[in-house]
Amino acid sequence: MVRQPPSEALDLSLKSRRGRTARGVFGLNTAVSFSPESWVLVGVSVIIAYLVLPPLYSVLQTSLFTTTLTGELDEFTLRFYADLFREFQVIEPFLNTVYFSIGSALLATLIGGVVSWIVTRTDTPLRGLGYFTAFASFGTPFILYTIGWLLLLGKAGPVNYWLGRLLDQKGLLNIYSLGGMVFVEALLWSPFVFLMMAASFRSMDPTLEEASAVCGARIGQTLRRISLRLMLPAFFSVLLLIFIRAFESFEIPALVGLPGDVRVLTTAILLDAQRMPPTYGRAGAFSVLLMLVVAGTLYVYFRVTRDESSFHTITGKGYRPALISLGRWRYLAAGGLLVYSFVLLALPFLIILWASLLPFYIQPSFEALSKLTLKNYVSAIHFPKITDAIKNSILLGLGSATVVMVLTTFASWILVRTKLRGRWLLDLLTTLPLLFPGIVMGLAIMRFYLIVPIPIYGTLWILLAAFVTRYIPYGIRYTHAGLLQLHRELEEAAYASGASWANAMRRVTLPLLTPSFLGGWVFVFLLSAKELSMSILLVSPRTQVVSVAVYELWENGQVGELAAFGVIWTTILVSVSVVYYLFARRYGVQQQ
Amino acid sequence: MTPYRKNLCRTMTIMALAALVFMFRLPQPSGAASIEDVAMMKGADRQKILVEGARKEGKLMWYTTLIVDQVVRPVKEAFEKEYPFIQVEFYRGNAENLVRRMLAEYQAKRYDADLVDGTVSPIMVKRAGFLQPFYSPYFAEYPAELKDPQGFWGSTNLYFLTPGYNTRMVKSNELPKTYHDLLNPRWKGQMMWSTSRGSGAPIFIGNVLLSMGQEAGKAYLQKLKGQSIAKSTASNRQILDLTIAGEYPIALHIFNHHAYISKTAGAPVDWYAIEPVTATIQTIALAKSTPHPHASMLLLDFVLSEKGQKVFQQSNYLPSHPKVPAKQADLKPGARFKRAVYMTPDIQFDKGNEWVDYFQNQFLK
Repeated sequence: MVRQPPSEALDLSLKSRRGRTARGVFGLNTAVSFSPESWVLVGVSVIIAYLVLPPLYSVLQTSLFTTTLTGELDEFTLRFYADLFREFQVIEPFLNTVYFSIGSALLATLIGGVVSWIVTRTDTPLRGLGYFTAFASFGTPFILYTIGWLLLLGKAGPVNYWLGRLLDQKGLLNIYSLGGMVFVEALLWSPFVFLMMAASFRSMDPTLEEASAVCGARIGQTLRRISLRLMLPAFFSVLLLIFIRAFESFEIPALVGLPGDVRVLTTAILLDAQRMPPTYGRAGAFSVLLMLVVAGTLYVYFRVTRDESSFHTITGKGYRPALISLGRWRYLAAGGLLVYSFVLLALPFLIILWASLLPFYIQPSFEALSKLTLKNYVSAIHFPKITDAIKNSILLGLGSATVVMVLTTFASWILVRTKLRGRWLLDLLTTLPLLFPGIVMGLAIMRFYLIVPIPIYGTLWILLAAFVTRYIPYGIRYTHAGLLQLHRELEEAAYASGASWANAMRRVTLPLLTPSFLGGWVFVFLLSAKELSMSILLVSPRTQVVSVAVYELWENGQVGELAAFGVIWTTILVSVSVVYYLFARRYGVQQQ
Repeated sequence: MTPYRKNLCRTMTIMALAALVFMFRLPQPSGAASIEDVAMMKGADRQKILVEGARKEGKLMWYTTLIVDQVVRPVKEAFEKEYPFIQVEFYRGNAENLVRRMLAEYQAKRYDADLVDGTVSPIMVKRAGFLQPFYSPYFAEYPAELKDPQGFWGSTNLYFLTPGYNTRMVKSNELPKTYHDLLNPRWKGQMMWSTSRGSGAPIFIGNVLLSMGQEAGKAYLQKLKGQSIAKSTASNRQILDLTIAGEYPIALHIFNHHAYISKTAGAPVDWYAIEPVTATIQTIALAKSTPHPHASMLLLDFVLSEKGQKVFQQSNYLPSHPKVPAKQADLKPGARFKRAVYMTPDIQFDKGNEWVDYFQNQFLK
């Protein structure tokens, strides 16, 4: 529990209090604080602070100053905050935003949660499909995935066409609506929920569930009263993340909401970029306000999970969860899984594939079959420097996923295992990048490395630094929830047997954390392959990346070319993720 | 460690850091002539001096908003064939990002860019004070609206924004042919436009206000508001594709050459003009602290010359040069439409925010 004011920020001298629960390496005395592991932890904290604080400073600055024509800071102003509050007073955008964020968070959590339970905890056939669907749908470039849905559910799309024929009514489904926004956003994020929950479910303590079963509870009861409660940290993490992402998102409101005149809080901010020179003051002010809200939420979260032992599911006892036998229901579950894969992946992917094979887009019909061509694939392959872009994106994905997961594993360890004062500030620090508007953060990082004498401007390294900073929040949610489930006694057993901290970490903690680590790794890998708002500023002529190439095609190319390129890229991404996942899981299992 | 060694260590560290800083701040090597001298040079031996200087420079960096595979690469190839000793490198981005990047670099005194182009990006850089005016003998061949009076920019190609329509959904004789026709209830909810400042709703509004006058223009727009035109942040190209897909019968304000290209591919789409047509001007300009002034001047001359303009023509772009027609000639004013409002960079800069505001306040509800 933390009651320290923020001024005692990040007291990383490792002078831990010898409180009632203070145990473990840092509970002993201050002398220990100079052991090698403390340097690792200090190092991790310093790196995170180094990555996060400059953009934070820049966001604050952006929100408080006007800029001159040259982009320099001009005058101090509170105008952007005033604008924002005026915007908040208009009730409709505010309500829309709230519905949109809560709706997407709940729907995504529901879909992802149910599917991950089926996949990880039951004996349903076809379980592997769950992972494949998550990787593949999340690997599809964002723009393309959304366009796929617009083409499917649009006024002239096949769904409305068939519904119209069946029910004899025109334009039944309107995707350009609040409901449409929630639907697409939730589908976009459900793989994230799936990967995260799957990691948590895999680490569930079976004895608790067995005890419940022995007491005569049915599956539903056990699920509700035992499993779900144990999953609270993971649930909270995904809900919080998706809520925030939806709250501040521009993309779906712009592409799906705007055509249907559904206005949200970010709509006005989005259009600020159309001004000359573009201003980001309102975007800055918006994210500062969000930060305050999130800081409050995190504080509450910290209090909720402070009694960490309630969430321990991996203890010294046998922990590998048994699969729940669903009996005849398993065919129903398998059917559900198929529907999930079909809706989340097959539908949008098929329409993209369809678009990629046409010289121009026509609604699916027999008439159109005669027009099928591979021309778009030929132009996609000839896109300038495309092999370089693919290579760079893969390298960046591998690099940022690995760095993020290593950093956040240690950071989570500090958060969960130590009793350092102001730990929650580290938690806040690792969550803040989530709230930086991509464009402001890209600018901040660009300016930072133009000024400081670290020669990475114009190289892949600046992109790596940006990606790592941006994706720390996701990594920390995975490892934090994972570590909360890990009982301290396992590490203590290692220490009691004479293991050093490094040994205990390497032989006990990390192997047990494998599911979370892997889930997070794949997720960050796929996310960084999509990153656009920062990349677009930070790429240089020699460091092209795929997401920027996709964006160029989106701005200037035709749907077919974009689709062809998307199909190729998704295939590559999914192959890398699946190979990595299979390889690493096998390796991880052997370790255990 | 003795105090002496400690001091030495510290001194060396400071020196190493200073050296690093210095390395990155080192001004670019400059020849005898200043950038301004090179840019404004006139006279018989101009070409000779430029070629000699460019030979030493060996390359240039072009910050471009043009599409790489469609036009930047053909221009690069044609130019490098003419001057094999110059390597053209480019950085492609949209106007906003291009300008952000260049301004941030200039603030940090990092001068990578030689040339910058776009319909609005050069003017933003100019207003920030980071452009160098230049002289090109080819300026004489262009009309006044297609070059900057002070020589800050020349123009390479033009864009004409017209409606595009799905030919299966609307017959050509039913089309709304005038601005007034757009108010017909039949088109309510049937049109889509983009939010883009430089090519979407705001500049359409600008055209109306400039051509009809403020008062009549605003009265017209108030009526147009009732037509529930769908807005999207998607690019004009994508909006046209949605029209081809049948989502909306009419894309109100798209690039006419896009519709032409799709039509040639067999898509059920065509364009037509509502006069006066909105025209925007692709401009190209010289960076104030260009590290390769000679090579840059040669490229500027090249793209403004008839020879360079033909490369734009062959790439299906609409050349600015009055003597170089478009490959499909009727995309430029002439046979299919006569009147166009040329949105010069200055007008766009000075009035653009007003139009964006009007769009946001009136059309966004």
